[in-house]
Amino acid sequence: MKNNDNLNAALAAATCALLGSAVAAPVAAQEESSGWSFDSTLLYYGESDDRVRDISAAVAAQRDFGDERKFSATLTADTLTGASASGAIALDRPQTFTSPSGRAVYTTAAGAVPLDDTFLDTRFALNASWTQPLARLYTVSAGVGFSTEYDYTHLGANLSLARDFNKRNTTLSAGVAWSQDDVDPVGGRPIPLAQMLDVGNDSNKRNGGESKDVLDLLLGFTQVLNRTTVLRVNYSYSDSSGYLNDPYKLLSVVDPLTGDTLARVPIGQGPDGVYLFESRPDARTKQSLYAEVKHAFGTPVMHFAYRYMTDDWGIDSHTGEVRLRWPLGDGYIEPQLRYYTQSAADFYRASLVNGAALPRYASADFRLGDFDATTVGVKYGHGTTGGNEWSIRAEYYQQTGSVPQEQIIGNQARREQYPDLSAVIVQFGYRFRL
Amino acid sequence: MKKLPFCLVLLGLAGCAGVQPWERDVLARPEMSLDNAPLEAAIDDHIYFSKEASSGGRGFGGGGCGCN
Amino acid sequence: MNTSCAATLTRNADHWVGRFVAMASPCEILVDDVQASLAQQVLDVVASEAWRIERKYSRYRTDSAVHRINDSAGSETVVDAECANLLDFAATLTRLSEGAFDITSGVLRKAWTFDGGNHVPSQAQIDALLASVGWHRVEWQRPVLQLQAGMQIDFGGIGKEYAVDSAADQVERIAPGLSCLINFGGDVAVRNARPDGKPWRVGIENCTRMGAAERVVQLSRGALATSGDARRFVFRDGHRYSHILDARTGWPVRNAPHSITVAADTCTQAGTLTTLAMLKGCNAESLLRESGAQYWLQ
Repeated sequence: MKNNDNLNAALAAATCALLGSAVAAPVAAQEESSGWSFDSTLLYYGESDDRVRDISAAVAAQRDFGDERKFSATLTADTLTGASASGAIALDRPQTFTSPSGRAVYTTAAGAVPLDDTFLDTRFALNASWTQPLARLYTVSAGVGFSTEYDYTHLGANLSLARDFNKRNTTLSAGVAWSQDDVDPVGGRPIPLAQMLDVGNDSNKRNGGESKDVLDLLLGFTQVLNRTTVLRVNYSYSDSSGYLNDPYKLLSVVDPLTGDTLARVPIGQGPDGVYLFESRPDARTKQSLYAEVKHAFGTPVMHFAYRYMTDDWGIDSHTGEVRLRWPLGDGYIEPQLRYYTQSAADFYRASLVNGAALPRYASADFRLGDFDATTVGVKYGHGTTGGNEWSIRAEYYQQTGSVPQEQIIGNQARREQYPDLSAVIVQFGYRFRL
Repeated sequence: MKKLPFCLVLLGLAGCAGVQPWERDVLARPEMSLDNAPLEAAIDDHIYFSKEASSGGRGFGGGGCGCN
Repeated sequence: MNTSCAATLTRNADHWVGRFVAMASPCEILVDDVQASLAQQVLDVVASEAWRIERKYSRYRTDSAVHRINDSAGSETVVDAECANLLDFAATLTRLSEGAFDITSGVLRKAWTFDGGNHVPSQAQIDALLASVGWHRVEWQRPVLQLQAGMQIDFGGIGKEYAVDSAADQVERIAPGLSCLINFGGDVAVRNARPDGKPWRVGIENCTRMGAAERVVQLSRGALATSGDARRFVFRDGHRYSHILDARTGWPVRNAPHSITVAADTCTQAGTLTTLAMLKGCNAESLLRESGAQYWLQ
């Protein structure tokens, strides 16, 4: 049937001719349902080399009250085990570190990239939001969020307003979000750039927690380009202030010629090298520009997204993502590809050189370094007769980074400077309505 | 700044593009909605936030955890 | 076929239920709370209209207009205004469906028996019958109709929905503004909303589990029509062939939804959408989405 735009008009006219002048009032029909719809997911994240492993489960519930008023809430629980690179460099000899609690030591084998002490952390998060029309063409949305884990608590709220134009082909939106987080590290907060000391000596730590405040602004523009294409562009501004350090990350202090960590003799139990805790600025401003397009080629749908981020720590990043959804049997298959690249923070240091002036800020956290990351994955989804859908997704994530040439000193050159990170992600999802 | 001409392009787009209400058949398909998998997107954002230095873009910055 | 000319009226909690059989389907009418005498009048009017349309358009009855038309295939017949309207409507549907829907396709019944088995006729059998199928072979110049010899018309695809709307008209004439639900075998219309605002509740039968309603639709006003293959289909080579035949090919549509229910202003419109959608087979949902109408699939 061609010209489906006219199908309805033609049908209405034909029916009118058949039934005569009786004009029936417009239909008012609605499916009786509790109005609740749910989305649930179970995710496994596992890094290679026995590093971080995470299992998380989340349930999102949404209740439609009609007239575009909606309530939604999400509950997430995840359990994280394992360790990430601490920032200290690898050496040809084993290394001993004091654990974050300050009550024990742990050792790294010779030649291995030192990892944090293994930990187990369980986090719970709850988010809720309410959306409703404010006036014709205006929609307002407000939300709150809370999360807790053993050393971190988060409390946040957000508010946004959207306005439709141009027969709802264009939408402009503006939103703001505040959050206040409290960090209470195990063993106390390390003094920035203080040295790691022996077991039982906590003169390098401060007691009590610290807070971190974040303000986010979001401006959004959504536009229907044609019958099969829709575009969204967002500009974000984010301002963080307060305690932005990672309390468990270190830097090794190295000899200027050999590039090996300075040795230290502990009294009793303690580190056998000179390690300093990292120091980051207490403020960070980020800006990002994000654009995404969804286009339907007949039944398959392609999604493409790009994000550019820049901040005042000197980090610039580009993210590109593409997904293609193909119908397959009674369901669909969706291969995905993501590419990410970032430049290192200004204060990123592979190690600190003994004798040189101590910089104000320094961090060897690889997440602030210069790296590329690629994700390849595929998702399969299948609808069931009730309108429900289950899905399964598998992805492989790989990060490869590098240390700036001028920061590689002496023996460091012949060891792995920036450990690759690779992880497998498997996710099950089930969406249903009641 | 290079943001200003970009804004003009966006406003220009708004004027000439768009569809009539009865042409929204394809756009009405759930897979064409920009937020058709919010839980999955939130989980992805959380994973990347904890492994990379960037966050957000599609929505608010996320975060709210000790993982970064 | 005998139609039971008995219509029974019983009282439920807050409404009347009238039941009778017409057009080979169980029919019922739910009337909002009124005096018994009015409820009886409404039931009589609806049942009479249903039986009138059945008598006039049934291909089985020797006294029907359709039988007269089919009998005189090969020569001209003159039809009345109502029949002419139906023929015009059917012609429009044939055009809108590009020939897939065609009231002359009834003869294909001789080849297809939809009993859940896997008997499939030969192409030769179908081709032989296709020679007598096709609205383009019909001379229709209102009010004169001429079928070619061997052709037959059958209003089965649109008759029941039209009857519902026509019966609703009759009720509106004797009791304007009355809220009642007319249900002829799953084709439903409510002309006026109930004064207390409560909707009528219609259960859509679950195809895979007979008798258990899968969904309940709250119909305040308007119409619902359902088209389905639950009990009439053929399974062959991994494809499910529903009982709805594509008049162009003589074959049933493939892999159409098990059941389609559409909500529209009138029952005729709702029924037409379900038929046109079913004729698209696996693309049924696409047509329904484009139409902008509310629909439920199984």
